[in-house]
Amino acid sequence: MERILLYVEDTPGMATAATWALRLAKDMSCRVFALSVVNPNAPRRRDKQTSDAEERAWSLLYEIEDDALEKNVRISLLLETGDPLPRLTSLSTSYETELIIASADSRLTCSELVRQSNRPVVFVK
Amino acid sequence: MAKISELLPRSAIVLNLQSREKFEVIDELVRPLVAAGAITDESEFVSAIVRRENMESTGIGLGVAIPHARTKAVANIVLAFGRSDSGVDFNSLDGKPSHLIFLIAAPEEQKTEYIMTLARLSKLLRKDEVRIGLNKAGSPDDVARVIMQHES
Repeated sequence: MERILLYVEDTPGMATAATWALRLAKDMSCRVFALSVVNPNAPRRRDKQTSDAEERAWSLLYEIEDDALEKNVRISLLLETGDPLPRLTSLSTSYETELIIASADSRLTCSELVRQSNRPVVFVK
Repeated sequence: MAKISELLPRSAIVLNLQSREKFEVIDELVRPLVAAGAITDESEFVSAIVRRENMESTGIGLGVAIPHARTKAVANIVLAFGRSDSGVDFNSLDGKPSHLIFLIAAPEEQKTEYIMTLARLSKLLRKDEVRIGLNKAGSPDDVARVIMQHES
């Protein structure tokens, strides 16, 4: 395995999932693609909230990047806007990642992600 | 927390980068920060930034790159900005050259401020109107004005 996609969200379980993903990537000498998707159509989200969500998403991505550097893990950051599930599955395919890792407390519906993805998915708890 | 515009000295704005290779561009942006006394150990800082560039892409797409490093060679968070008409290959995931390059230098112990600065700058540079403004800017004051206008 050479490429892992880590789906990054602002949830309490994210730090655990990121740590696990980086450890796996280090052990297997994989490259990590850390992806966050800001959904502008989330309920009650207005422009200001979308802007705040984008800033928060970047800060989560850069936190993970900083940890990756300490662990000597190669990482690329991706921030996308749109509907998270189709963006995630589509980018996983286009970047040819071989595994998707998400937090078990992801806002995505786990069964939907597994059904729509053509890659193995690991939920970290 | 300081605004992006407050962290970018006018003397560290290079509107016509001469270099075409990314490590040469980084050197070109580090030089004014060393001259201003913002980076105290040039070789340590450049080593840190080269190490990061070799581990990952700091090209975030849309013609933008943000090389960055946090080391003891820096006293306070500071930025430099360079614009390249021809573009520089920062290994962006979209495969396109970077024309707008922001370098961030931060002290080792200011991790939170460093992450927040990176996040705020990345958000800012995803706005079309900011990139258009920076591409059109005719002077360092114009660059500062564009950033100030769009900072929340």
